[in-house]
This record gives sequence, structure tokens and C-alpha cells, in this order.
Amino acid sequence: MNALFQDQRDEIVNAWVEAVFNTYALETTGFLRTQNDPFANPVAHMTREAAGIVYDAVAGEDVDPAQVKKAIDRFVKLRAVQDGTPGQNLGVFLLLKPILRKMVLPRCSGSDALTSYYLEAESRLDSVMLLAFDMYTADRDIIAESRITEIRNQHAQLVRWAQKVGGSPLNPAGKE
Amino acid sequence: MAKLPTPQELVASRPDFPEQDWLDVKPQFTPGSYCYPAKKETMELLHMPNPHDWDPAAEDWNLPEDWEKILCDAFAERLEKHRSLKLFMDICVRCGACADKCHFFLGTNDPKNMPVLRAELLRSLYRRDYTMLGKILGKKVGARGWDKDVVKELFYYAYQCTECRRCSLFCPYGIDTAEITAIVRELLHEVGLGIHWIMDPVKNCSFTGNHLGIQPHSFVEIVEMLADDCETITGIRPKTPFNEKGHEILFITPSGDVFADPGIYTFMGYLMLFHELDLDYTFSTYASEGGNFGSFTTFNMAKKLNAKMYAEAERLGAKWILGGECGHMWRVINQYMATYNGPAPSCMMDVPTSPITGTKFTNAAATKMVHITEFTADLIKHNKLNLDPSRNDHIITTFHDSCNPARGMGLLEEPRYVLKAVCNNFVEMPENTIREQTFCCGAGSGLNTEEIMELRMRSGMPRGNALRYVQEKYGVNHMACVCAIDRATLPPLANYWAPGVTVSGLHELVANALVMKGECKRTMDLRQEDLPNVEPDETETQVEGQ
Ligand code: SF4
Ligand code: SF4
Repeated sequence: MNALFQDQRDEIVNAWVEAVFNTYALETTGFLRTQNDPFANPVAHMTREAAGIVYDAVAGEDVDPAQVKKAIDRFVKLRAVQDGTPGQNLGVFLLLKPILRKMVLPRCSGSDALTSYYLEAESRLDSVMLLAFDMYTADRDIIAESRITEIRNQHAQLVRWAQKVGGSPLNPAGKE
Repeated sequence: MAKLPTPQELVASRPDFPEQDWLDVKPQFTPGSYCYPAKKETMELLHMPNPHDWDPAAEDWNLPEDWEKILCDAFAERLEKHRSLKLFMDICVRCGACADKCHFFLGTNDPKNMPVLRAELLRSLYRRDYTMLGKILGKKVGARGWDKDVVKELFYYAYQCTECRRCSLFCPYGIDTAEITAIVRELLHEVGLGIHWIMDPVKNCSFTGNHLGIQPHSFVEIVEMLADDCETITGIRPKTPFNEKGHEILFITPSGDVFADPGIYTFMGYLMLFHELDLDYTFSTYASEGGNFGSFTTFNMAKKLNAKMYAEAERLGAKWILGGECGHMWRVINQYMATYNGPAPSCMMDVPTSPITGTKFTNAAATKMVHITEFTADLIKHNKLNLDPSRNDHIITTFHDSCNPARGMGLLEEPRYVLKAVCNNFVEMPENTIREQTFCCGAGSGLNTEEIMELRMRSGMPRGNALRYVQEKYGVNHMACVCAIDRATLPPLANYWAPGVTVSGLHELVANALVMKGECKRTMDLRQEDLPNVEPDETETQVEGQ
């Protein structure tokens, strides 16, 4: 059954990676494709890291949710801060579907067993998408919290001093 | 009947060959991508040209009537004044070596964030007015004229460059895009466009001395509060000399380290170190901000704020200046001070000399200003400090080279030397992300404001990514740095990309390890958190036992 997905693993993973790269401006995709150093081209590295595991999970390999989460963590964090709507930023996972339908689905024709295996795979992609959705919202929450924490930290000593000298409405007597 | 679009249509993978040329794609001013504008009153107080109310998200930026003439004239004047600018406009061969070296480009994948194209935004204007081909062929050779959208675009991208100079390291001609950005910001100021997070500190530094505009007496009281904290931790209350004449050294550091967590712990580290050395020094409330916010705006503003430090050294009769862990202060000192305000006042010492070791800092002969890390490294080399690095055993630290000390003054070895002396566990981040090639925190040059947190997380991604790598591979749980902006910007960055890594200045770790004469038994670090490996006191155990 797994041969259905394994035979073309590399092509499909690459096709998805390309589709993700194509969400960026034309002038930058050449760079994304060709530079392989994980630190000189982190976006490509994150995308490729996510692509491999997502594909294996979708194909029904032994991959647990924690592994998927770990592998897509950097990628989701990146998409959570890049330009675009949440739908556009997370929708990239769904770009795998048309690729699967083009490259895998035709091989299932005539076999109910294969077709139902294929449909399960698509459902697993939906699960990946849901995991990513949770992570995405958690990441956005971190950003919102960071803004508040930063404002607080910037003036931390000032507030402490104000409380000490009685400049704070909460502590007018100036007692510590 | 209308149908829902497919996911592909929603995600909008772009067409294979977009209709618009990169230069024609206009930036979108969405919340989180731009900084809040400077207030009109602030600009008026500072006598900045054409102060006015405006909103980056609005269609009309209320530019002054003759904005185009102002900008053209201002550009011509800068080209005349700075030969380097003219050179940078002329000699770029578009080789692309710099293109993928900018953290903003790596995080956004926006072509206009490639340094070469960022510079091209200005160069295209130059081409039309100053090159024969541009005059004749116009758009065909990438020349264009000024219009209001161009002004908006310049603003958008001049504040998506942290002037970090990483790109210039890779340019075969040494073209410094940071200086081009600085000029663009200066031009924008001519038509009244600036940002709040820069101009407000500039105003405060100009009028009261520190970036929050806290009155001198309050500033002193806050520092005294920090000295009290030192006493709680060590049993010794360090002295806090302010505005005193006749000391050998004037100490200047960013005022952020007096107000902000976690910078205050670095500041406490200075207090403890100087007390232990019985250093003959004073602080100044007038020159209490080392970070030159002016350098994010205009040449003249940078010059003015830089001059304050030397005026104060002269007034107080200091022989030389010791400078704290700061970024832009050092860039200005090493690259621009001599042009702005040099030579230093003649009453200052010829060559700053450490009163503890006798070492002459010949590298600081022109500026009369020594970096605290050089000073401390020299102390350690001469065995002048009693250090117990095991007090930092709970951390595995890496070191973030701040752009300005690293690329602007070549301070690469000293911080590592000090760090290794005070910490037993030190790990470097990958080679192409440190030293001269260091990745910016993503929020330097006045971009460390909270409204663009999202942008900061993407521009800081290359740094965060390298940090995460050493965290996963070597268990790194700490990152030291020598810049106050870093101490403010790296904690949220680490929290996002490598949660669990704490950030501190170098001298916080120095003071943790510093065994002071007559100190009480240390059970807490500077953050008043328990130190590792501290045996409970026998007497205490007995009391508990009873
Ligand atoms: S100076 Fe830094 S932020 Fe600016 S273009 Fe160069 S690499 Fe990018
Ligand atoms: S590396 Fe220098 S010459 Fe090459 S494109 Fe960049 S700025 Fe131009």
C-alpha cells in the first residue's frame, strides 16, 4: 500500500517545496532553490525540513503528532510572522493536495482499497493542517504577549522607583 | 453563481512571470510592518524641518507643498557633501554578492530588501538626474523620477534596514548600504518624516540626558536603588558617584540599562566591578545616554549628541571616557566621532591608560574612549580580578556579536576572552552567523519598537535560527551580548525562535563570578535567583534542624 506514496516521494516533496517557494516573489525563488546552507538560507531549510515529515505523515508512515509538530515548528513560526493573511500563510499545506491528486490519485483508479487509502492520506493532511493551525495561533499569541512584556520591561525600574517615592497611585504613601 | 475560490487561488501562488517589474510593486502599509510616526511637537522642539501630523497607513502623508524640490535639493547637497555617497551611487555593478546577506531579505523574501535593490531605490532617482544614460533613456536603464509613492517606498525600506553593515562585508567594492539607508532617512527628515521611537529618545537625550527623559535627580535615585540591590546580593553597597569633578574617568553607558530589564543587571555588574577596583570615576546625568539615537536620524543630530559626551568629560575634568556595553555608541565613536567633533578636548589624556594595570589603550588615543570589554579583558589578563566561574555553572552560554561592536570596531576577541573567564560552558553559534558575519538582532538602528514586533521576528529570524540550532544541539540556555539594544530585542526574539534561552549582558556574568573583598556568602545571582551548587550554611541548617 505504501508503495503508492513511496515511489514518488522525492518528486512530490520537491513539487510541494517549489509550490511554497512560488508564494514568494519571482526574484527570490532562484536563491531559495539554489542555496543549501541552513544558516545562509534558513527559509528553504525550514521549508524542506517541514516538507519531508509532512509527506511521510500524510503517506501513513509511523509518525506521531509530536514529531510532526517538531518538524513544522520553525516553518509555522516563519509563516506566522511573514506577510499575508493567516489563510494564505497556512494554506501552503493545502498546496500538497493538488500535487497528490495529480501524481498519486490516478494510480488508484480501479482499486477501491487504494482509493480509500488515498482518501485517508488526504484526511491526514487535514490533520497536519489542524496541528499547524494550533501552533500558528499560539505563535501569534507569543507576539502579542511580547509586545506587552516589552513595554513593561522598558520601564520596569521606573515603575519600581515611582512606587518607592510615592509617585504611584497604587502606593501613595511611598512604602515599599 | 459565485463559487468559493480554491486553496491555491486563496494562497495566490504568483504567476510564473508577474506582470509588474520588481521596482513597480508597491509596499503595503499593513499594521506591524511600519513604525509609528514621530509627533509633530517633538519635531518642532528639535527644530526638525517641516514638522507635521501624518499617518503611514493613510493615502496622503501631508507632505509640504514643495516636497519634490526639497528632496531634490537635499539629495544634491548630500551628494556634494559625502563623496562616498556619490561613489556608492556610481560604482555598484549589480554583481549580487550582497543580495542574500541581509537578514531582512532572508526573513521577508522581499526583493527590495536585498541590499543591492534597497540601494537601487535611491540609485534609480540618482540615475535620472545625474547620469547621461538615465537622462536620455529613463526607465529603460532603471531611472525614475520622484513621486509620492517613491517617498513612501523609501520610508518603508529605510526602516526595514537596521544599518547593520552585514551586506557591505560581502561587497567587492565595500559599498556600505547602511550609509545609503542613513542618507535616505536624512532625506525623509527634510520633508518631516521620522519615527516616534527614534525621535522621542532624541528629544529626551537632548533635553534631559537619558532616552526616557527622566529628570536627573530621579535618574540618580534609580541608580541608587540598583546599588541597594547589589547590597542585598553581596552585602556591599557600591558607590554611585554622579556629576563629580576631578575624577580620572567618566563612565558612559546606555540609559536603557538603568531602566529596563534585563539591562539593569549589566548595570549592577558595572557598579560592583568599579567598586571592587575602587575606580576613580564618575557618572554624569547630563551625558547619561551613550547610545547615539541621533545617528538613526541625521548627521547633525548624531554630531550634537556625540558632542555632549566630550563636553561633559571636559567640564568634569575627566582624563578619558570608559564606555559601557553599547552598540551604536561605538559605531559613532569609531567611525564618525573624529569627523563630527574631533579632536577630543586637549585636556584629556594623550592615551587612555588603565589605572589598575597601567595598560595604554593606544587604539583609543584619538577617541579617548575605551570599551568596558577591553578594560575588563585587560584586568583579567593581568590577574586583577578574583573570579569564581562556577557560579555561572547553571548556564551554557553562547555569544551574540552585536553588529556595531563587531563590524563597526572589530571587537571580536575581548568579549569571548572575558566570557570564557567567567563561564565554564561556552559554545559558538555556526561560523557564518558570528563575528564579522554576525546576524543582526533584527531591530537595531531605532527599530526596537513594539508595534513592529512581527517584522522584528522575521528580520531576527536568521539570528534566532542559529541560536535555536545550538540550543538543540548543545543545550545552550543563555546568550550573552554587549549591546543595550540587544538586551531589549533578543529576549523576545529568543522567546519566539528558541524559547528557554535567557539573554544578558557580559558584565552581568562578570559580576556573578566576581568575588568581592568582604562580600557575604553569595546565594543569589544578580537577578536574585538561587545560585547553583550553594551549600546551605551550617548555622542555618542547625537552626532549621532545631
Ligand atoms: S545594512 Fe544590514 S539591514 Fe541594511 S541592507 Fe545591509 S544587511 Fe540589510
Ligand atoms: S555586492 Fe556591491 S557591487 Fe555587488 S550588487 Fe551589492 S552593492 Fe553592488
